[in-house]
Amino acid sequence: MRGFWPVFKRELFSLFVTPTAWVLIVVFLILQGFHFYLMVRHFAQNPELSVDQGPIQAFFGESMLFYLPLVLLCPGMTMRLFAEERRSGTIESLMTAPVGSTGIVLGKFAAAFTTYLVMWTPTLLYIVIMRRAGEVDWHVVATSYAGVALIGASYLAIGTLMSAMTESQLVAILLSSLVILGLFVVGIGEFIFDPGIVHDFCSYVSVWGQMSELSKGIVDSRRIAMDLSVVALALFVTVRAVDAWRWG
Amino acid sequence: MITIEGLSKSYDGTSFAVRDVSFRVQKGEIVGFLGPNGAGKSTTLRVAAGFLGATAGRITLAGHDLVTEPLKARATIGYMPETVPLYREMRVHEYLHYRAELKRVPRLERRAAVDLAMGRCRVVEVADKLIGRLSKGYRQRVGLADALVARPPILILDEPTAGLDPNQIREVRSLVCELGREHAVLLSTHILSEVEATCDRALVISKGVLVAEGTIDGLRKLSRSSAMRITVGGTGDAAALLRAQPAVEKVSEDRPGSYLVTWRKDVENTDGATEEVARVLVGAGFGLRELAPVKASLEQVFAELTAEAAA
Repeated sequence: MRGFWPVFKRELFSLFVTPTAWVLIVVFLILQGFHFYLMVRHFAQNPELSVDQGPIQAFFGESMLFYLPLVLLCPGMTMRLFAEERRSGTIESLMTAPVGSTGIVLGKFAAAFTTYLVMWTPTLLYIVIMRRAGEVDWHVVATSYAGVALIGASYLAIGTLMSAMTESQLVAILLSSLVILGLFVVGIGEFIFDPGIVHDFCSYVSVWGQMSELSKGIVDSRRIAMDLSVVALALFVTVRAVDAWRWG
Repeated sequence: MITIEGLSKSYDGTSFAVRDVSFRVQKGEIVGFLGPNGAGKSTTLRVAAGFLGATAGRITLAGHDLVTEPLKARATIGYMPETVPLYREMRVHEYLHYRAELKRVPRLERRAAVDLAMGRCRVVEVADKLIGRLSKGYRQRVGLADALVARPPILILDEPTAGLDPNQIREVRSLVCELGREHAVLLSTHILSEVEATCDRALVISKGVLVAEGTIDGLRKLSRSSAMRITVGGTGDAAALLRAQPAVEKVSEDRPGSYLVTWRKDVENTDGATEEVARVLVGAGFGLRELAPVKASLEQVFAELTAEAAA
């Protein structure tokens, strides 16, 4: 874990002094603002819907617009982490400093994850707005944001791994988007295959299923285990990849 | 301080970039690692700094084995890579603070350590500038400050003067000489005169193999002129006069009145021979216009060193 703090601080610094984080956050907020507006308008025009569902559930659990930005924005946050260090050669000074590979990988991942959480923070305003118009189920809000954090963590871990696979940020963002999109598509299998092993598998890995449950306040520990496994596996492989560069 | 035993490095498993290199660097010693481009200098330094793993061999830095105690071993070095990679988006003092923290300089001493390193490398005046905006010379010095900031007992510098102008080269060299008093310094270069100017000892590497380990005096002798360019004015056969000198091996006239004179190998005192030639030419009524030693090229020196090593 040596080196975690300085790497974490530098990475965060670098994301916020360059336009990267700001551009991602602005794009995200514009898209989610539009998304939220659509949801609220939809429910305002169809009051009969509000009996067993509300805009918050729909925002987190039902809409494609929740996932699409994440497919590109999460890889955008992680693409530089290792690719840029290797392209510019700074990886050489980083890896000859007395720090371990675990510290470097976790520091970088934590910086991306912090940026991700910062990106979501302004959406808490939506909850405040909803509260003015009616009742808000805080349990649902809590589980929804937990889901947001879990999905983000797994997407960012995948992005961190892909950034370590290449020296090109473009390749890194494309690879991670593809993998994330792939996971998403596998999840859709739930609605395609007949009940059986494949159907079950698809429904377990489905982020859609996960968010739809969490947005209703249902917490399934298998989902959490799935997300945390993805994070652990991706970061473990990244640490091994970083170690492997020494022997290239 | 630095002990390298039987180091080999292969990138692809079949051919070796460095093969069976062994040497030591003591405290207070500046050792130059000399070789043409592509000889394996950078590879050796990268392995020694712990960036690359050795295919075979053992590296000990200040008593810590690089494989069994990698963090302790890496904590004893300040390494400046050849390309001096820096984060362009950071300011100089921010970068050095970050590096000091990374190298585990205690929080309370960090400011003093950064100030000291900036002072020694003369980058105080650009402390608040973005690294991306600095000139090559300043970036080189920031890289050097980075290597120094944690006050490591060992410095490994990969071509510290590459790409600098003559003034900056002189400054960096004098800084390295100063540092050599308290650190063990290993630096690489492909410039012979740089080794002469800064180092106590030189290791010569060629095609991945250590071909010679020489004192500076030995190298100086080799690099001393083995030939002389002489241009004369006036009529007469100057070439015949030159050929008659006992110290002269060969005379070739490359344009009228201009001769390339090669000394015989066994001539020890080329200075005396030069004076003698000048005296004879002037005595014979020739006007002496140019008398310039022709420095042996690095390749020639290598060839001689390799031949010596084989003998």
